[in-house]
Amino acid sequence: MPETTKAAVLTEDGRTYAPHEAVIEASRCLMCEDPPCNTGCPASVDVRRFIRKIRFGNFRGAARLIREANIMVGVCGRVCPQEMLCMENCTRAQLDTPIDIAGLQRFAGDVELAGLAPVPEAGAKRDARVAVIGAGPAGLGAAAELAKAGVGVTIFEKADAPGGVLTHGIPPFRLDPAFATDEFSYVERLGVMTKYGAKADPAALLGEGFDAVFVGIGLGRPYTIGLDGEDLDGVHIAGELLARVAAGETPSLGEDVVVIGGGNVAMDAAMTALRLGAANVHLCSLESHEEMPAFRSEIDEVQSEGVAFHTRTMPVRILGESGKVVGYEGVGIRWKTPGLLVPSNAEQIPGTGFGLKADAVIEAIGTGVLDRFEGVETDQRGVIKVDEETMKTSMDRVFAGGDIANGGATAVLAYGEGKRAAGAIIEMLDRESGKGGGA
Amino acid sequence: MKKPNLAVDFCGVRFPNPFVLAAAPPTDDAEMIARGFEAGWAGAVVKTLGLEHVEVNLVSPMMVGMDYEDKRLVALQNIDLISDRDIREVLPEVRELKKSYPDRIVIVSIMASTEAEWKEITRRVQEAGADMIECSFSCPHGMPERGMGSAVGQNAELTYERAKWVAEAAEIPVLIKLTPNVTDMRPVAEKVKEAGAEGVTCINTVKGLIGFDLDTMAPIPSVEGYSTEGGISGPAIKPIALRFVADVARDVGIPVAGVGGVVTWKDAAEFLLAGAGIVEVCTAVMRYGYDIIEELNEGLALYLEDKGLASPMDLVGKGLPKIVGHGELSRATKVLATVDEDTCIGCGACVIACRDGGHQAIEFAGPDAGEDARVPKVDDEKCIGCGFCRTVCPVEGCLTMQPREEKISA
Repeated sequence: MPETTKAAVLTEDGRTYAPHEAVIEASRCLMCEDPPCNTGCPASVDVRRFIRKIRFGNFRGAARLIREANIMVGVCGRVCPQEMLCMENCTRAQLDTPIDIAGLQRFAGDVELAGLAPVPEAGAKRDARVAVIGAGPAGLGAAAELAKAGVGVTIFEKADAPGGVLTHGIPPFRLDPAFATDEFSYVERLGVMTKYGAKADPAALLGEGFDAVFVGIGLGRPYTIGLDGEDLDGVHIAGELLARVAAGETPSLGEDVVVIGGGNVAMDAAMTALRLGAANVHLCSLESHEEMPAFRSEIDEVQSEGVAFHTRTMPVRILGESGKVVGYEGVGIRWKTPGLLVPSNAEQIPGTGFGLKADAVIEAIGTGVLDRFEGVETDQRGVIKVDEETMKTSMDRVFAGGDIANGGATAVLAYGEGKRAAGAIIEMLDRESGKGGGA
Repeated sequence: MKKPNLAVDFCGVRFPNPFVLAAAPPTDDAEMIARGFEAGWAGAVVKTLGLEHVEVNLVSPMMVGMDYEDKRLVALQNIDLISDRDIREVLPEVRELKKSYPDRIVIVSIMASTEAEWKEITRRVQEAGADMIECSFSCPHGMPERGMGSAVGQNAELTYERAKWVAEAAEIPVLIKLTPNVTDMRPVAEKVKEAGAEGVTCINTVKGLIGFDLDTMAPIPSVEGYSTEGGISGPAIKPIALRFVADVARDVGIPVAGVGGVVTWKDAAEFLLAGAGIVEVCTAVMRYGYDIIEELNEGLALYLEDKGLASPMDLVGKGLPKIVGHGELSRATKVLATVDEDTCIGCGACVIACRDGGHQAIEFAGPDAGEDARVPKVDDEKCIGCGFCRTVCPVEGCLTMQPREEKISA
């Protein structure tokens, strides 16, 4: 496949609505009393209200409303698993099909970008400084919310750009990295200071005089299986491969590609492999079709693109010749204890072994905690323990949210947790300055 | 029972079905009309002709639509004029059309100024073999400035005088097309009857100003930055048309060709119920093509069959006796909003409608009702039975208005 074609298929598809199409979709909205969609958004976007704005031709007002709740208007419009969030309880589904809420949000964001994005008004400046570690969705949610409340915010991000997993872990055909970076930088327009290439530690930051610290560093350490042949040329870790593609590389994977995993990253890896020119892509998962943790919509998409599924199987070995991958061997499994979907609970079924021709094997079996902080209590995996209502950690004045605190979930949930932590921090600051707040 | 026969007799003329192409762009030449006839239209009113010396100077663009939410062309404004074709070309086409389609009805729309002209054009159209004549006393733009069009139809005396000229000169039935841009059409229709014309066509377009371009802040359609008020047609004007048809059919007792906003067989059936003997269609044909006649004919036939009626003529005026003065309406029965809890999807559109557009009589059952929390409950004491909630319910048959006695006892 020529390079130019690869580049083209790796760009974001143009699913956005034209204005009249957006109005058509918005006018399907029943404009419910006490709308169920509104309770489904972790970032607390007022869905009914923004759809009403689109319906009545107030496109930029819609974008402004969403942006006030979630600065990642366009990003979430592209990557949110809406069918399990706002769309899940859409009343319209009882008549025919639910409203395409994410599509309308994407439209609003795109319209806004065509004009000048309005900045939500910041509250009165406070004499308070908060440090945010990590510029992923959780950190951005906390930072934006704090900045709007007049708090001085500095983000410390070890990478050289904002976005976290959204920037380096989402394939560019789902989310254009340049667009995403641009939207994330919106937080700077709210007055947030950003320091890139900067590792930070909560205790040290408190020592430097910050009034509170929010930790939203995500996970960052991809698991590997430990298979025979894992060191062969042609074996990839999905997260690393996706990061290279997001950075603009188009590595050649060969004709036959095997992806191991049943989550969203595995689905993204499979679709990326196809776009990088693979003719045959196989997806091998421990889980059955119904058990896979990936979003239904992503599984359907991967299946419709012709990826072959080998579900309820586990890897045996990767075969190589002259140091290069040439094949993959797997075997069927059953669960020893039904419902416990972990590798240690899988039992091989004799006689179900199979072999696949492979030029590349991509491992996408999950991600664990990379960085830990002294004095912040975690579980044995390293996931930070927090109070669910305030996102407060065991360390005084330190809060956490997103994957590092929930073990790994959606970007919008991370954003929502960042907002929740910001709310608790503001309440704490109010209490201390005698402004009342919760008192 | 026998299949209904769609043929109708109107002003002594036999139409194979009640549907006729109105005088407009779809009837501007014989080739187009022939395609309409092939599709199944019973007749066509050839686009309005003037005498050869009448200058017709068109502007462009001359049409612009009004959209509503997801619906395009809820209304159409045109600032078109009468046909710009030479009557000497068109009349031979009329003769050929009649030769090719002897069972179809060719009506020619005409407009003129003086008595001599009205009589001359009437004679020539008749000689060309037209079955009927329709006189446009009703175009709301362009012509009134020249003392024609709706300037005539808004004035009972001018209408009488001109209708009489044409009726005197014509041996074929004459229809006078009237304008809705009056407070009451009946005095004008009375004069048409008195003048000896066989029927009226109502309505012509409603005079309007369809909108502005918000970028240029100028009215549309923009003719080099300027525009003018025009004639509004399309689904939006149907209630206005029905009202005039009913007024004239009931109180004047003259045959009426109904026109204005007809899209489906249901619209057409309503015009028949309001007293129209035939139904003319224009905007829907322009938008969807001649072949919508298939749905008009088939839908009307099936409706007649369902109702056990043999002919569309059995519908004509059937709804009129039930139209009475507001003071004559019964106050005996009060109805109440009634929700079918089995089909309700819990959107609460009725809750909002009643709270902000009614009498705060509908509320969700609330959290105490468990899984029925989103089922609307009607406070029968507060409900005045206005019926607005029923207009917003998205589920067919879910929210109905039931007489108080029946609801309370149910």
